[in-house]
Amino acid sequence: MSSGSVKVIVTSGRTLNQGRAMEKGKITQDYEDAVALCEMGSTTMEALGIENGDTVIVKTGLGKINVKAKLNKNLPEGMAFIPCGPYFNYLLDSYTQCTGMPGFKSLEVTITAARGAKIQTVEELTQKMKEGI
Amino acid sequence: MTEVGNTFKDIVCTFCGCLCDDIIIEVDGEKIVKNTNGCAISKERFVGHMENRCLQPTVKGNPVTLEKAIQRAVEIIASSKRLLIYGLSSTENDAQREAYRLAEITGSVVDNTTSVCHGPTILGAQESGETTAALAEVRHRADLVIYWGANPAAAHPRHIPHYIRQPGEYIKDPKKDRQIWLVDVRETTTTRMVDRFLKINPATDLEVIQTLRALIRGTKLDVTEVGGIDIKELEEIATAMKTAKYGVLFFGLGLTQSWGRHRNIDAAIRLIQDLNAHTKWGLMPMRGHYNVSGANKTSTWVTGYPYAIDFARGYPRFSPGEYTAVDMLARGEPDAMLNIAADPVAHFPRAAVAHLASIPVINIDPKFNMTSQLAEVNIPAAIAGIECDGAATRMDGLPLYLKKVIDPPDGVIPDRDILRMMIKSLEKVMK
Repeated sequence: MSSGSVKVIVTSGRTLNQGRAMEKGKITQDYEDAVALCEMGSTTMEALGIENGDTVIVKTGLGKINVKAKLNKNLPEGMAFIPCGPYFNYLLDSYTQCTGMPGFKSLEVTITAARGAKIQTVEELTQKMKEGI
Repeated sequence: MTEVGNTFKDIVCTFCGCLCDDIIIEVDGEKIVKNTNGCAISKERFVGHMENRCLQPTVKGNPVTLEKAIQRAVEIIASSKRLLIYGLSSTENDAQREAYRLAEITGSVVDNTTSVCHGPTILGAQESGETTAALAEVRHRADLVIYWGANPAAAHPRHIPHYIRQPGEYIKDPKKDRQIWLVDVRETTTTRMVDRFLKINPATDLEVIQTLRALIRGTKLDVTEVGGIDIKELEEIATAMKTAKYGVLFFGLGLTQSWGRHRNIDAAIRLIQDLNAHTKWGLMPMRGHYNVSGANKTSTWVTGYPYAIDFARGYPRFSPGEYTAVDMLARGEPDAMLNIAADPVAHFPRAAVAHLASIPVINIDPKFNMTSQLAEVNIPAAIAGIECDGAATRMDGLPLYLKKVIDPPDGVIPDRDILRMMIKSLEKVMK
């Protein structure tokens, strides 16, 4: 159930779990658990009325994706973090400023609570991209 | 002698650009059972090397022989008008060389994963030069180490404990004699490992670096803060950097992927150049994939350019933004793709993946990945540094020999041999 939404800057990057899961294999539950999440501070979670582990919808102008909310007390207000991987990249545009490098580090998003909503598996996400959805 | 029974010593870890070369691997029959000295990710890489493995070549999801898979791959390549060859940073140098050969004979574009990690680092260095150092030199001499936009605790877990928090020839006590600072837009796990954390506002790296340059040159600035840091603190930082005996700036994707891209790196290099008027400083990119540094080097040796190379005119041309994989795919330009030891479907923006999904893809990788879910042809490969030998380049440019510790699964061969089979077959087809 939605409890409103917040606008934040989301950045992406490496995590130890993402690295370990990537080495184990991308088509594993470990990988999905490591990358299909959005870390946010306690203020953001309170504003959304959600708890650790609830599903949230992260939305940009390009699309939206469901991921699991994770409390990270060290994140400043107005900032969220999604580990690098397909869930973050689904929201990312391809503009590279003519360098080859997309803007992985600062994406303006809207986060909405969606407690209980399903998170797509890595395979389902691949299929979705294959179908151009 | 490094092998005693089933224990292999001084093994190089092929996960990140640290290429830690003190790993001890124990093998029991056909399994790796223990990794000593490796980080958590290294342990997963070695002990879990058989998990999620692709063991059988497939064409359109149907199991085929290796020869049949090569035959279909060659058909796709030969009929392609604009082939994109991509990946190469998680494989060894010989495989990279074969990929450039394939690009040359087919008039293709060849790009490596540098374009989405430290490509801007190379652009910055092409503009401003490079002041670098060996990791051993850093350990022996550096009294001030700064990480900027990097999270080594997650991405290079042994960088600090293995290379930096170690005593050296002139740094007897690494906790007392060496300061480690971190500059980032958020607190990360690395924050707990350093002596000082400087939080800057997102997308202000360029301003902060340029401010430090101005302060180091003695300019008085009429501002109270830059990037969220008080100007007094920046003045103190500038003085500390000037008075260090030997400083090193390690930087990560927080600098290359954020607003400013190569201009951030250009500024960082010039900051180091400025500091060298006063003392000794170097800088080094925190290279991610274990041989992405090697991909740049082998590409430069062979083609003259480090990445984003087009052979369409029969000779190599370099143009980031044009021949880089994300830009090419987002423009809908390639009509086929050969992907080697990378996973663009997991790591590229959606529009690039959408085009990738619409063209025939040949995917060479030891494991199932997201690209293998879309690829028409999947060919399993041996893992370099575990199941076959090779050479790779550490983040500081040091080449290291990768040893084989266990046989690959039956019928699975190294990337270089797969590419050689393709080239041999292509040379017949293209005569």
